[in-house]
Amino acid sequence: MLRFANLTKSYLTGTTEVQALKGVSAHIEQGSTVALCGPSGSGKSTLLNICGLLDPDYQGELYLGGELVPANAQALTSIRREKIGFIFQRYNLIPVMSAFENIEYPLLMLGISKAERYERVARMIDAVGLGKFAKQRPDRLSGGQQQRVAIARALVKEPRLVIADEPTANLDTPTAHLVIDLMRDLGREVGSTFIIATHDHRMTDRCDRVIELSDGHLTEQTKPALQLAWG
Amino acid sequence: MRWVHFAFLNVLRNGRRSFFTILVTAIAMTAILVSSGFALFTYHSLAEKAARDEGNLTITHPRFFTDEEDVPMQYGLSNFEHIRDELLVDDEVKAVLPRINLSGLVSNGEKTAIFLGLGVEASEFQVKGPFLNMLAGSPLSGVTSDDAVPEVVLAQGLAQSMKAKVGDNITLMATTTDGALNAFDFVVKGIYTTGVPDLDKRQLYIDLASAKSLINTEKVSSVAVYLFDLDKTTEKLASVAALDNTVAVTPWWQRAFYFQSVQALYNRIFGLLGVMMVLLVFFSISNTMSMTVTERTREIGTIAAMGCYRGEIIRNFLMEAGIIGIAGAIAGVVIAGIVTWALLVLGLEMPPPPGSSQGYPLTIEFSWPLALITSAILTLVCVLAALKATWQGCNKTITDALSYV
Ligand SMILES: Nc1ncnc2c1ncn2[C@@H]1O[C@H](COP(=O)(O)OP(=O)(O)O)[C@@H](O)[C@H]1O
Ligand SMILES: [Mg+2]
Repeated sequence: MLRFANLTKSYLTGTTEVQALKGVSAHIEQGSTVALCGPSGSGKSTLLNICGLLDPDYQGELYLGGELVPANAQALTSIRREKIGFIFQRYNLIPVMSAFENIEYPLLMLGISKAERYERVARMIDAVGLGKFAKQRPDRLSGGQQQRVAIARALVKEPRLVIADEPTANLDTPTAHLVIDLMRDLGREVGSTFIIATHDHRMTDRCDRVIELSDGHLTEQTKPALQLAWG
Repeated sequence: MRWVHFAFLNVLRNGRRSFFTILVTAIAMTAILVSSGFALFTYHSLAEKAARDEGNLTITHPRFFTDEEDVPMQYGLSNFEHIRDELLVDDEVKAVLPRINLSGLVSNGEKTAIFLGLGVEASEFQVKGPFLNMLAGSPLSGVTSDDAVPEVVLAQGLAQSMKAKVGDNITLMATTTDGALNAFDFVVKGIYTTGVPDLDKRQLYIDLASAKSLINTEKVSSVAVYLFDLDKTTEKLASVAALDNTVAVTPWWQRAFYFQSVQALYNRIFGLLGVMMVLLVFFSISNTMSMTVTERTREIGTIAAMGCYRGEIIRNFLMEAGIIGIAGAIAGVVIAGIVTWALLVLGLEMPPPPGSSQGYPLTIEFSWPLALITSAILTLVCVLAALKATWQGCNKTITDALSYV
């Protein structure tokens, strides 16, 4: 589904160059939930930004659905609009819009008819258990509730790929569990591939596969016991 | 529609800031409407005054306005009766008034002064009624018989210098068309003011028949055509000119030098004011939108990540600016309407304009076409200002925008 080979990325701050990715390669299966672990500063966000087509400035090859990702910014935007959902650490909901409207937004961008939009948003908002809060604005919701709205927003267009950068970092453990389970279950229902950056073990335990970044290098972490349990 | 709804939500997000921006737009709108409304009113009153003073159209000998006469009435009109008859059956024509311009000396027996006289038919005073401000006595009666003393109506300054009161006798002397000097006695019938001190010092009116006898002529200087409707002047100009191609027909505005200079002056003053208001709105909106864009950097990053094109993001901001512009324009129209109405009720008096001694009521003409055009321009200015601000503000990369705090 998603394959990258020899990805290299360096940042230039002033005169010093920081190599955030030093030639990483991997293949991620359609429908799998992959945890991307590693300490802070190891390059997780950098890799996710590239995989999510947010950052076109890298060396190496990136294939999405078997095709080489184009270089043209308009084409990248169009792919993101149709095929990629995002979940952020700080939820990033639009504060003036209700939960319902936030979830509706991606469908509006896709030009989906009003009737269908309403039906899909209603279904999604119930799926994340926030039907009662449809009309509330984000500032009236708790962190966990906001992240559930964000999950609904990312999944409502049934994207091929969902990128989540530390989605539970701002949540307490029970809420984090709820959010993780929700992502995994809804993701499976929709058939989306998840790449979740985290250094949170509450998260890695619940994923199909764990890959670890350290100092710009990628290493696979197989967890046979867990794979049996969650297979 | 949904996008407009979201734009509304965003305008309301920082209600206070939006309110002040709308207020600035409304004030600019009001200033433009009130000042140009005042200019429009002035133009209309001056146009009406010019047309009432001189007539909508003036028929003369072709060289009357351009060449200096060697002897009185050299460029007078002799055969105008057919034109007059033709015009009088037209229901758009209010009056056709022949006039004689003459000059000479006026004397009270002890003192002599120069006068600029107008020989007119008595009906001239009905036609021009409200524009000739009578201070004493009454206008020319129009009663002419051979044994009665002819009447004169003096402008205020001239009456003062002659120490003349209503009922007094004065003598007018003028050169006749054949070069002799002629003098008649007149009785003062009334005293008026034109509102222009320079004119008041010299002007007088006598009956057309007396003027003809005084300078011994059968011609007239000009024939003024009065229409019921000022706006019909252009249309009538052509048809009157077609009646007789040996005469010249001049519309009022070619002779209305005061009107022209006031219009040129006001156009400059209020044009400049308008430009300043437009700039004020431009900078105010562009400032508001820059702040808005900066504050929402992370949000812009979020929707860009979700697949919103830069053009769409800018379009959303432009919609917000458009809403602010339209709200400001509507508020401005309402305020200007209230100001117009209040001035009508309060009846404020303006000081006399340059060269005049009379003030006039401050009135504003509210013009819907002007309000619509100004609204459109201001809204466009808001949108352009927002385009400038958002174009500059939306150029971060998505990853930079997302990590903006
Ligand atoms: N915009 C940037 N400019 C310069 N250096 C950056 C930038 N973003 C990340 N880096 C550097 O790249 C490395 C990887 O960062 P990042 O991908 O954010 O790691 P993580 O998400 O795992 O914490 C770090 O050393 C960080 O300082
Ligand atoms: Mg990170």
